[in-house]
Amino acid sequence: MARIDLDHLAHAYGAPSASPTYALHPFSHTWEDGETYALLGPSGCGKTTLLNIMSGIVRPSEGRVRFDGRDVTDLPTAQRNIAQVFQFPVIYRTMSVFENLAFPLRCRHMPEREIRERVGEVAELLNLSRYLGRAALRLSADAKQLISLGRGLVRNDVAAILFDEPLTVIDPQLKFELRRKLKEVNRRYRLTLIYVTHDQTEAMTLANKIVVMNHGRAVQIGTPQELFERPEDAFVGYFIGSPAMNMLDCRLAEGGVEIGSLHIAFPGADRVVTKAGVRLALGVRPEFVEITDASASEAIPARLIDVKSIGAFRVAVLEVAGQRIRSKVPVGMPIPYGDTFVRFAHGRRLLFADDRLVASA
Amino acid sequence: MNALYRILKYAAILLWSAFVIAPFLWALTTSFKTANGITGGPTYIPWLQYRPSLQGWRDLFHSGGGGIQIAGPYLSSLIVTISASLVSLVLGTLAAYGLSRFTYRAGFVRNADITFFFISQRIMPPVVLAIPFFLMLQFLHLLDTKIGLIIVYIALLMPIAVWVMVDFFNTVPRELDQSAMLDGCSPFETFWRVVLPNSKPGLVVAGLFCLIFGWNDFFFAFTLTFTQTQLLPVAIVSLNSSVTPWWSLSAAALVSVAPLIAVAFVLERYLSRGSLAGTIK
Amino acid sequence: MSLIVTELSRRVDGVAHLDGVSCVLERGRFYVVAGQTLSGKTSLLHALAGLETPDAGKISLDGKDLAEMPVWARSVSLVYQQFINYPHLTVYENIAFPLRRRHLVATEVERMVHEIAATVGLTPLLLRMPGTLSGGQQQRVALARSLVKGSDLLLLDEPLVNLDYKLREQLREEFLNIFAKQSHSILVYATTDPLEALLFDADVLVMHEGRLLQVGAAQHVYAHPATTTVARIFSDPPMNLLSGHLDATGLRLADDVRLPRSGHLGDLPPGPYIFGFRPGDVGLASPGISSEVELAEISGSETFLHLRHETMRFVAHLSGVRTHAPGENVEAFLDGAKLFAFTPDGKLAAAPSRV
Repeated sequence: MARIDLDHLAHAYGAPSASPTYALHPFSHTWEDGETYALLGPSGCGKTTLLNIMSGIVRPSEGRVRFDGRDVTDLPTAQRNIAQVFQFPVIYRTMSVFENLAFPLRCRHMPEREIRERVGEVAELLNLSRYLGRAALRLSADAKQLISLGRGLVRNDVAAILFDEPLTVIDPQLKFELRRKLKEVNRRYRLTLIYVTHDQTEAMTLANKIVVMNHGRAVQIGTPQELFERPEDAFVGYFIGSPAMNMLDCRLAEGGVEIGSLHIAFPGADRVVTKAGVRLALGVRPEFVEITDASASEAIPARLIDVKSIGAFRVAVLEVAGQRIRSKVPVGMPIPYGDTFVRFAHGRRLLFADDRLVASA
Repeated sequence: MNALYRILKYAAILLWSAFVIAPFLWALTTSFKTANGITGGPTYIPWLQYRPSLQGWRDLFHSGGGGIQIAGPYLSSLIVTISASLVSLVLGTLAAYGLSRFTYRAGFVRNADITFFFISQRIMPPVVLAIPFFLMLQFLHLLDTKIGLIIVYIALLMPIAVWVMVDFFNTVPRELDQSAMLDGCSPFETFWRVVLPNSKPGLVVAGLFCLIFGWNDFFFAFTLTFTQTQLLPVAIVSLNSSVTPWWSLSAAALVSVAPLIAVAFVLERYLSRGSLAGTIK
Repeated sequence: MSLIVTELSRRVDGVAHLDGVSCVLERGRFYVVAGQTLSGKTSLLHALAGLETPDAGKISLDGKDLAEMPVWARSVSLVYQQFINYPHLTVYENIAFPLRRRHLVATEVERMVHEIAATVGLTPLLLRMPGTLSGGQQQRVALARSLVKGSDLLLLDEPLVNLDYKLREQLREEFLNIFAKQSHSILVYATTDPLEALLFDADVLVMHEGRLLQVGAAQHVYAHPATTTVARIFSDPPMNLLSGHLDATGLRLADDVRLPRSGHLGDLPPGPYIFGFRPGDVGLASPGISSEVELAEISGSETFLHLRHETMRFVAHLSGVRTHAPGENVEAFLDGAKLFAFTPDGKLAAAPSRV
């Protein structure tokens, strides 16, 4: 267990200069002990670089990394008490599952009886007990990933487990199971888990706190709920949530905003936006776009263009004042064709100025 | 702490570089000495420690009086080495492509066995092959000819080409071949248009190895040629007399190493594997 | 024009990659092959392309047996998972490659390349080398190269799996638009994600361990999975499956959960059954099954609750953020009308009616 502090951490490639090209912009953060974090972002956003700096594979060009106050920036990976699970399962091919899990303990010269106890405990947690005698090579990809994970768990001196997109090779149905196991691991062992992914569903279901990254910067850090309800940047609105947040170009108007010729109530909008020439957008998540009828309050005319059924719910694509928006509709609710009305739920409308959140109503 | 580490690092590199370059420098200075210059203790710097002379170099260009005519053997070596390397490369690459992409089966013999069969040719000490080759060339009346030597060299160099290229072709993803075939290429077109253009680093390595082994071969040149055809290594040996002519030997050594160094410099930039890295992400 | 596949089989090292697969694919239609990894999707696609020869079975296009045709004579395109492009050629030359093999006139080649590049969104990148492009762009080049041929059979083997989540969403939409215009080809798209099949609204071929388990419209297969295996594979999140018993008065789940017998289960003979219900069909309301919360997964606007009642474990998918701590007791309401019933050997006996 450890608290990890990042002190003005940054990483740039190439020779040091006055204006370096940062792969990771200067950034300070504290990862609290026992929490589960996700580093979420598209390819090339710097999340893997950040993870590798924490595990010691990469030495940052600036800043320090501290574990429980101890400066580990110059320490190699082996001395940091970190376990890392990679995208592709890492197993010792010539050994059985038991041997694979026991390996880190053997290296530390733990007595045999303790090894068996510890390996048995971890194997039971990960549902690998019946595979213990088998050759690790013959197992499926998800079982192999569990072995990788298990190797990190058997050690009782592990400060944190870092995951680098570990569920990429796993099928969607098995991902569900593995996510559940990871949560149990977190609950049972109270380890700090840091998880890199580009899949926002994974990040949202697994982590207590998510760091959304883009172009080497941490754009927003918050709980899944915070990120969902109050994205501070249009990028977070786009990246979190499926489908992405609807962004409608708009203008300031009396008591609210205007989209085309339609007026949307937004108390306080004019107070917040002061500069001229700023690009305004109204953001509202598809979950909060309700299809309704003319009698509802604040109903706006819309035209239904398409409906997609995705198992548990449906996505309706509508056109409002010439702009396309999406609405998430539960199965069972009738969707009228052609011209209809929508309303944006109260408290769920967000105003973005130049892609930064300025107001909500 | 870091400064000390850096000093040690550079010291080690300098030391090793000196160790590698020293023989060349020595040969260079020696080639400008005369018999007198050699006998009195070691000297290094021309004009300061000894009087440089072009005798060693002149001995390479006229026979008689302890010299040889190096131009002839030089040309013969060039012709034999380049022809043999070229043919070995072509045949070896084609064989390697087959071994990499197709599955062969004859009894219990599989691809891996055939590849090993090729490579195992190089495990044998040359002495073992001397007599068989001699008899073969004699039967074909090709002893002491360039053609005979070329044929023998092809047999010796092709395994190297196969060895390098099979390994290399195995790193080119099969999906590339499949795509080419789906786009309408016959197997040969696939090889010619898609796989070969992406194999330049492998060809360079294989070609270099063939040239080096071919150019430096002494044993077979010595055994299979006498008077009509003379290759460079053999010619240099004939420089020897009762008094070892270090000066002309040094000059000859430099002259024979020169083409290889030139080729290595030219082809070095093709050796980066990075050109293929972008295929698979 | 149709592609008829008959009893295709292929075994490698004792494992059946294809096991008696038969189907008919019509021109102008979009088919999705859904299944887990190693279910035989890639083997099927490769067999259709002619890259792998099956041990048994026949593939015929418009009555012509394809077994005699070498790969390069066929009219097939394949887009791989791993962004396969010719690294030594520019994007333009990559797309032009198949056209040049057909010895088309230069002006014709140019026209076709530019047309396809515009459709796929590659026009500004035509002179770049594939190695310098991002994953999404490389995949577009591969797609362009396969489209430009106008082949009879267009195969895609999990083309989006190596891309970011959001990029996947974006490209999926673009694919839909592009594919809608391919009226003369047979499109076969392999994926492990059932949601993709539903999004594309295509005809689905569900594969498992080399066998074809079910064929039908995506919505239909979703609503009427033929076996418990299909119910498990073609569902995200996975369907809850519990064994139970049906008798004259009602049905019993696990040991003590009793539910009234719903209309659609009316004709079934009493006996043991496997009952299935989707996580989305479970609600928190009284009266319900008293269950203990094992785990709560919160994701933005929805919650997955892992619940346990005695030996019965199931998952509920609820909308909204519900914070329930593990160990808490909740009432899970299961609507009998939404239950699937499968015979003990896994075959569908009754499915709930869809709204």
